Amino acid sequence: MELSDANLQTLTEYLKKTLDPDPAIRRPAEKFLESVEGSQNYPLLLLTLLEKSQENVIKVCASVTFKNYIKRNWRIVEDELNKICESDRIAIKANIVPLMLSSPEQIQKQLSDAISIIGREDFPQKWPDLLTEMVNRFQSGDFHVINGVLRTAHSLFKRYRHEFKSNELWTEIKLVLDAFALPLTNLFKATIELCSTHANDASALKVLFSSLILIAKLFYSLNFQDLPEFFEDNMETWMTNFHSLLTLDNKLLQTDDEEEAGLLELLKSQICDNAALYAQKYDEEFQPYLPRFVTAIWNLLVTTGQEVKYDLLVSNAIQFLASVCERPHYKHLFEDQNTLTSICEKVIVPNMEFRAADEEAFEDNSEEYIRRDLEGSDIDTRRRAACDLVRGLCKFFEGPVTGIFSGYVNSMLQEYAKNPSVNWKHKDAAIYLVTSLASKAQTQKHGITQANELVNLTEFFVNHIQPDLKSASVNEFPVLKADGIKYIMIFRNQVPKEQLLVSIPLLINHLQAESIVVHTYAAHALERLFTMRGTNNTTLITAAEMAPFVEVLLTNLFKALTLPGSSENEYIMKAIMRSFSLLQESIIPYIPSVITQLTQKLLAVSKNPSKPHFNHYMFESICLSIRITCKANPDAVGSFEEALFMVFTEILQNDVQEFIPYVFQVMSLLLEMHKNEIPSSYMALFPHLLQPVLWERTGNIPPLVRLLQAYLERGANTIASAAADKIPGLLGVFQKLIASKANDHQGFYLLNSIIEHMPPASVDQYRKQIFILLFQRLQNSKTTKFIKSFLVFINLYCIKYGALALQEIFDSIQPKMFGMVLEKIIIPEIQKVSGQVEKKICAVGITKILTECPPMMDTEYTKLWTPLLQALIGLFELPEDDTIPDEEHFIDIEDTPGYQTAFSQLAFAGKKEHDPVGQMVNNPRIHLAQSLHKLSTACPGRVPSMLSTSLNAEALQYLQGYLQAASVTLL
Amino acid sequence: MPVVNEQSERMRKFKNKGKDAAALRRQRVEVSIELRKAKKDEQILKRRSISFGFDESLQEEQRNEITLLSLKEIVEAVNGSNPELQLQATQAARRMLSRQKDPPIGQIIELGIIPRLVEFLTYADNASLQFEAAWALTNIASGTSDHTRAVVEGGAIPAFISLLSSPHMYISEQSVWALGNIAGDGPLYRDALIDCNVIPPLLALVSPVTPVGFLRNITWTLSNLCRNKNPYPPLDAVKKILPVLICLMEHEDKDIISDTCWAISYLTDGSNDRIQIVVDTGVLPRLVELMVSPELIILTPALRAIGNVVTGTDEQTQAAIDAGVLAVLPSLLQHARSTIQKEAAWTLSNIAAGPCWQIQQLITCGLLPPLVDLLKKGDFKAQKEAVWAVANFTTGGTVEQVVELVQSGVLQPLLNLLLAKDSKTILVILDTISNLFLAAEKLGETERLCLLLEELGGLEKIEALQNHENNMVYRAALKIIEKYFSGEENPDLQPGTDQEGLYDFSVEKQDFDF
Repeated sequence: MELSDANLQTLTEYLKKTLDPDPAIRRPAEKFLESVEGSQNYPLLLLTLLEKSQENVIKVCASVTFKNYIKRNWRIVEDELNKICESDRIAIKANIVPLMLSSPEQIQKQLSDAISIIGREDFPQKWPDLLTEMVNRFQSGDFHVINGVLRTAHSLFKRYRHEFKSNELWTEIKLVLDAFALPLTNLFKATIELCSTHANDASALKVLFSSLILIAKLFYSLNFQDLPEFFEDNMETWMTNFHSLLTLDNKLLQTDDEEEAGLLELLKSQICDNAALYAQKYDEEFQPYLPRFVTAIWNLLVTTGQEVKYDLLVSNAIQFLASVCERPHYKHLFEDQNTLTSICEKVIVPNMEFRAADEEAFEDNSEEYIRRDLEGSDIDTRRRAACDLVRGLCKFFEGPVTGIFSGYVNSMLQEYAKNPSVNWKHKDAAIYLVTSLASKAQTQKHGITQANELVNLTEFFVNHIQPDLKSASVNEFPVLKADGIKYIMIFRNQVPKEQLLVSIPLLINHLQAESIVVHTYAAHALERLFTMRGTNNTTLITAAEMAPFVEVLLTNLFKALTLPGSSENEYIMKAIMRSFSLLQESIIPYIPSVITQLTQKLLAVSKNPSKPHFNHYMFESICLSIRITCKANPDAVGSFEEALFMVFTEILQNDVQEFIPYVFQVMSLLLEMHKNEIPSSYMALFPHLLQPVLWERTGNIPPLVRLLQAYLERGANTIASAAADKIPGLLGVFQKLIASKANDHQGFYLLNSIIEHMPPASVDQYRKQIFILLFQRLQNSKTTKFIKSFLVFINLYCIKYGALALQEIFDSIQPKMFGMVLEKIIIPEIQKVSGQVEKKICAVGITKILTECPPMMDTEYTKLWTPLLQALIGLFELPEDDTIPDEEHFIDIEDTPGYQTAFSQLAFAGKKEHDPVGQMVNNPRIHLAQSLHKLSTACPGRVPSMLSTSLNAEALQYLQGYLQAASVTLL
Repeated sequence: MPVVNEQSERMRKFKNKGKDAAALRRQRVEVSIELRKAKKDEQILKRRSISFGFDESLQEEQRNEITLLSLKEIVEAVNGSNPELQLQATQAARRMLSRQKDPPIGQIIELGIIPRLVEFLTYADNASLQFEAAWALTNIASGTSDHTRAVVEGGAIPAFISLLSSPHMYISEQSVWALGNIAGDGPLYRDALIDCNVIPPLLALVSPVTPVGFLRNITWTLSNLCRNKNPYPPLDAVKKILPVLICLMEHEDKDIISDTCWAISYLTDGSNDRIQIVVDTGVLPRLVELMVSPELIILTPALRAIGNVVTGTDEQTQAAIDAGVLAVLPSLLQHARSTIQKEAAWTLSNIAAGPCWQIQQLITCGLLPPLVDLLKKGDFKAQKEAVWAVANFTTGGTVEQVVELVQSGVLQPLLNLLLAKDSKTILVILDTISNLFLAAEKLGETERLCLLLEELGGLEKIEALQNHENNMVYRAALKIIEKYFSGEENPDLQPGTDQEGLYDFSVEKQDFDF
């Protein structure tokens, strides 16, 4: 493309079209521009347009297009097309800085971005004169130009704040410092002087303060990696000026806007950051200046108002004090009682106040409010900063600080008592103060875990929290209600149980509050109380203690779901689940109504599932209803099927992907409740469960395997007789799973169920194929997980079909195969098997191989007999893996790792671990001893001689122990 | 008596400031670029002689009067043949070069008189002129690299080396000084000196009767001959110098001991075979003894030397442990000077990088409490090293040792440092947390560790780091959150299957051999 007027004209036309709202016009224009962007001169045409076009809109559009073009194409990636030719690159670098500086602000920003993108690639090596070119502009005296330079410099240098130290980086920084530090310092001084000469000129001040902000930011970047020599030598200049800027105020710079921070706030905020940087990293050098900054920042806090626009400044400033006050060598700055009192009174208390903005969030944006208040995403708020300062001060001054605040708490409570409806915010602040003073450590799961012993939490609870919750109206002073409920929640481990029991009906009552925050907190508090542990690992609050409240609890919980804004409130749903789990059979009378409400909810949310946690707890609640009811009355399963299957069918038909894994789990649970043959309704579904499309989704795999296992457990005979043609499809699923390293264990679960439950004749023709497949996987890509599952499977097979059958089928696949598997897999790997049931299966299987497999006694396999026995003894004597205790009640979603994102395992749909060996063998060690005894009776003399020749002494000793325990001797 | 100018402002003239590349046993990252001011406790590379002998008696004004010869007059006289004037001019030049402030080194070089001054060094019959020339050249060589080069290119090396054997001790001593400055310029000139066989005559000057002041100069020059890497000084040169250094380390003069320790610290700042040569001399117990010296100038290089030794192999580290380093580290970790804390923590971090039996010794010797204390209250540079120590400990320690570390209270200060303004430190802490989780998993205590981290305010800090600008930091934080703090975790599982479409159950037999 030539740099011609015609081309400029064409480009203008296309740029104009890219602004068209009609995609039919816009898209082709964008396509066209993309197609020509590889041409030489294209970027130069854009630069010409953004400089010279008659229309402002084209100028801006050209600058944006140019920046995006640079962003996409400037970096040269190896093996990829370089779209910008060298001469264009040179021309761009030669012209862009002056062009940027002479452009109006809107375009300047785009070009400044472009420069920093280019700089990231080319600076310093391939753009050596950039810095000089920029620094020279400092002399221009034109602050529009200077700010352009500063902004560009900021975007070039800000990466020094987060990159790792490296030779390359530090070389660049050194180069920048050499060229930039002195001119920047001079500019800083000159700008400050200009500020005082123009102290009465608002528009000049604005420009000058924008410069100062950028200068302060550059200071931060340039000082981040280490303290540069230049800045150490010039610390006096910088810090003195920073300090006086902190204390500066100018009416002309104050803004009317309540929300948006003004220039003055931004500058001071950045200075706080700079001071904090020095205090943290260059303490030794900064020490002489620090006390001045502490005083200045503290005064700043005292004089700064409550408006939202000061939030960042205030929280930065408080965080600075918080970080300094916990340093041992600055302790003395805070030690004085007057200082402490003044910090508490003027810095902490005012910033804990509940502000108009908080009130707005409480009412109109309760989800956000809850997230901040309950889940702790309040890192940048004033309250949080004030709370951190309290904790910092308590490190050294817990006693005095507690004393000072007790006074404030009392006077605030008195204020409230005088006129609650006007002064309720005083009480809110008092509660917040007590909370932040008392809590030393906290977790979501347990609330406060370490408390300040100087605060009497129970007394405060009885005198000031309970009265609010006992008040007749649940809707009065909602903020105080929420505060009170939160207090119970977080101090639940500090407040005695009697008090918690007193609170429970109050909490249940507040489920009816109109305020979303209040009824959500009530639900959450109940849920947390119900998970507290008492003695003997039971719940602290028992079902018996809850008996008087069951009806009202359930009624209020379900009613709360109908309150505006809470139709999918996860806290309420979780409380429902937890209540069911705690109350157990006392919910049975209410089940018909409960299940109807849950099914309706399920139907409603399945239209558009959007709250994963809500949905999860809803399914958990369904599972609990089923389990609890059917435990008392197994026949009730039919009525659940009746209630649920219609919705389930709809979910499956509409392919509601989020819900399908849950549906399979509930179905498994239902199917397992049946005591007799599998109902025909399930059989009709069976072929559909083998559809590949279902198995392509990872999230479906665990629950589907689980469901097929339930089919095999309950209906193996029905499948063999009525659906024999589906067996290859079933095995196909197994093959699909076994091919994947991620899912092979699921394949084995399925295979184990097939072997255990299917009538042998029905799988006879596939058995060899199964083993070939497993061997193939073993040969090509074995993993520890695979080997563990494989070992369990072959031993299960051995138990089911006998050791001889195992040997025969192996050797029929390939001669001497059995020996190879023994030698290369079973003997060396058996110790890896974990899990009690798994180990038992392996022990029993190997015992069979040792004692019921004639080829082990009289072929070349005989040499493997003792090593195999030795391996078995090793397996016995390994420390047992801890099994997972049966504490489902306490399980949380967060506690169940190991499943894919798309699959959330339902704790209450879980089944007990299945032991296929069962009562057949109680003690595998004794079983081994007895089996050896039987073998030795059959061929006297052989067993002892094999033992004495090659079994090691330790193993022999263990074995003798087993024989003794079984009261047998070997012949 | 030579007086070293101690003003820190002057120190900036010395080049090659940065020598304390924070080396790590596993990954010795050398950053030769320094942004900081030269370290105040580094040994001096080059020294200018400011006042000397008879000049000391002169008052400032008097001295200024004498040096009033113009540059032009100096050039003329130096190039002339009048010995009287030569001496006067050389002395004048020397005085200008010895001026307290802004010595005109560059100007003197531009006069082009260096070759002539070098020639004067050979005037064995005119000791005064030899001495003045030597002094002037010493001071020129004390300047920048360019200045030193001017002296070397003027042919001064062989001339000074032969002057080592001058019958006049003050000339010999001045030569030692000049050679020290040349050696201090860098490996190139250091090796040039060694190639010119500087070592034997230099070592010959060391004897029981050598005056202390002279011996100090010799020791300093020897230390410069041991100094600098890329390349290291030749092995045979090192082997010649080492026995003398070992003797000097027993001297009672603190400056001599200090410079000897510096020399040893340079010799140990290298590959393991370099370290081994030093270890083989059996000097480690003496170095450890010196680490508790009340003299900072001794303690600093002794600590640095031992610090270097423990960057070596496990056996070399064990030698340092056997020499008692673990007994002296606790007090150094709590030393009033932050730089000493930092070096001590660095040393500890390298011992913690060793095998678990060395980690056990570290525990047994009571290093955990001071380490935790340093993490809590130390200067940031020292905290950074302490973080490395903890990280290494958790990498190499046994589960029981890691438990002991956690029980010693390391978590709270470690988590607080997640707010550090240094990406690398944050990343190292995140790696450490992952290590702790690995240990917790083995103990089945994952949940407890999760709760502990949350209680101590670590969880929310890690959560916040998911927004960190540095990619590696953000990913490390994300990994921990996903793995341990979220139920809906999972590593990307790709169901790798060859079977497409319908699952028909079939397989082809192949030959198996496991």
